[in-house]
Amino acid sequence: MRTDSKRWDDPVLVAAVAPLAIVMLLFFIIPLLMTVVLSFQTTQFYRLSWTWDLKVWTEVFSKPHYWTIMARTVVMALVCVVVCVLIAFPAAYALATRLRAYNAQIQILIIFAFLTDAVLKTFGWILVLDKSGVANWLLAHLGLGPEALNLLFTPTGTMIGMVYGLVVYPMFTIYLSLARIDRDLVLAAYDSGASRLRAFFEVTLPLARPGLYCGAVLVFVLSLGAFLEPKVLGGGTAPLASELIRQSFETRVNWPLGAALTLVLIVIGALSLSLAAFILMRGSANHERSVR
Amino acid sequence: MIPERLKDRVVDVFLVGTMALLILFFYVPILTLVVFSFTDSRVLTFPIEGFSLEWYGELFRKPDFLPAVANSAIVAAVSTVFATVLGSAGAVAWIRYRFRFQNVFRAVSFLPLLFPQLLLGVVMLLWFSVLGNWLGFSTGLATVIIGHIVYITPFALVIVAVQVYGFDETLEDAARDAGATGWEVFREITFPLLWPGILSAATFAFLLSWGNFYVSYSLAGTARTLPIFVYSGIAVGSSPIYPALATLNFIPALILVFLVDFLRRRALKRQKLATA
Repeated sequence: MRTDSKRWDDPVLVAAVAPLAIVMLLFFIIPLLMTVVLSFQTTQFYRLSWTWDLKVWTEVFSKPHYWTIMARTVVMALVCVVVCVLIAFPAAYALATRLRAYNAQIQILIIFAFLTDAVLKTFGWILVLDKSGVANWLLAHLGLGPEALNLLFTPTGTMIGMVYGLVVYPMFTIYLSLARIDRDLVLAAYDSGASRLRAFFEVTLPLARPGLYCGAVLVFVLSLGAFLEPKVLGGGTAPLASELIRQSFETRVNWPLGAALTLVLIVIGALSLSLAAFILMRGSANHERSVR
Repeated sequence: MIPERLKDRVVDVFLVGTMALLILFFYVPILTLVVFSFTDSRVLTFPIEGFSLEWYGELFRKPDFLPAVANSAIVAAVSTVFATVLGSAGAVAWIRYRFRFQNVFRAVSFLPLLFPQLLLGVVMLLWFSVLGNWLGFSTGLATVIIGHIVYITPFALVIVAVQVYGFDETLEDAARDAGATGWEVFREITFPLLWPGILSAATFAFLLSWGNFYVSYSLAGTARTLPIFVYSGIAVGSSPIYPALATLNFIPALILVFLVDFLRRRALKRQKLATA
C-alpha cells in the first residue's frame, strides 16, 4: 500500500476531501454544537426563548426519574453487549476458520437480513413473540411446557430486538480481526507444544482483541438510542432514554430538555468510547513490551 | 481421557452450529412475515389456517401506501448518489493520501457511524428547526435526504475503503508510463478497479436509505416514507396487510442484493484475469 503526500493547494485533494467535510460540518458538527447551545435555553408557552441559564440542566440533574431511566438504558446496553459478543464471537470464528468455502454466501445472507426494513422486521418479531405467535407454537410442539410464554411487552422482548439489530456489528469486526491473524503464529504455538485451547487463549484471542473491543463499543453506543424495540416489542412498559427524548420533543414540546437529555446520552457514549480506546492502547503497549 | 478427535468434532459442531442458529435467528422475523402474508384470516395467529392471496389483493384495492413508496424511492435515489460519490472520494482520501489535518477529516467523516440513529436524527432536527425559523422553511423530504446522506455516507466510505486498500498502484504507474493523462488513468484504470466496491457501496446505501426509520422519522415533518407509514400503521393495531406489504418489499431487495453480488464477483474475476 503506497500513499501520496498531498498539500492543500492540490486541487485533487480539495476535490476529494472538501465536499464530504463541508456536508459533515454543516449538517452534523454544527447541529451538535447547536444542541449544546439549545440545552442552555428555556421554553415559555411551548416556544423557545433565548435566555442562557441552567434551568434545564438543574431539572435534569435533580429529577431521580430521569436517572432511573438513564441507568436502565445503560444496563440494557451492557446486557446487549454481553449477549451480542457471546453470540458473535463463535459465529465469527466459525466464519473465519470452519466455513471458509461458504464465506461469500453467508455474508450475503447476513447483509441482506441486516439491510431490510427495521420497522417491518420489528413487526415480524411481534408475530413471533406474541402469545399466539410462532415462538409459543414451537415451544408447545417441542414439548417444552404447556403454558404460553409471554415474551412480548417484556424487557426480554426488547432485548431480543436489540440483539437482533446489533449483533451484526461485532460479528463483522471480530471476523475482520480474526481473518487478519497470521496462521503461522498459531502454528508456531502448536510447534512449541501449546494445546489447541492454550494457543487460542495466548495467540488468537489477544490478536482478536481490537475487533472484539470495536464491536463491543459499537453495540454499547448504538444500544443507547434503541427506540423501536422498547416501544414496539417492550410495549413501552419499561421506557428507555430514547422515549424520554421523544416525549420532551413531542408531548412536552420542551426542546432545551430534549437537547440536554440527548447530550447526556452522547456523553455516556463518548466516555465509554474513550475508556475502550484507553484500555486498548494500554493493552497494546503492554503487548509491545512483552514482545521485546 | 476424551480422544482428541472427538474433542475437535465437538468444537466444530459448536462453532458451525452457532453460525447456523445465528442465520436462522436473522431470518425468523422475515420468514414469519412471508408466511403470514398468505393467511386467509383477519387475525394473525400461528399456525395460519388457510392459504390465500387475499391481502395482496387488499393492497391493490387500497393502494394508500403508494405515495409513501414514491417518497422512499425519491429519498433513496438521491441520497444513494450523494452518499456513494462523497463516500468514494472520501475513501480515497482516507487511505491513499497523506495530508495535514487528515485525522480531523477521518474523525469527522466517520463519527456518524458511532451515533445512535435516533440521536443523529434529533440533533439534525434541532438544527433544521432553528434554521427553519430563521430562513422560513419546514422539515420535509429535503431534510430527510440530507439526514440520510449524513447517516449513510460513512457506511459507503468504509465499503469503498476496503476496495481502495487492496488497490495495486503499479497499474496506474504502468498506464502513466504508457503516456496516459491523469484523466485517462482514472477512467481506464482507477475507476474500473474500484468499481466493484463502489457498486457494493451504492447498493448498501440504497437499501439502508430505503429501510431507514429513525432518521426519517425525526426529519420528515408531515412527509411519509414507507417505514414511517408502516410504523404509524402497526402502532394502531396489527392489520393483516403488513405481512403482504413486507413480502413485496423484500423481493426486490433480495433480487438487487444477489444481482449486485453476482456483478461484483464477475468484475473481481475479470480483474484477476487481467492482472494475472
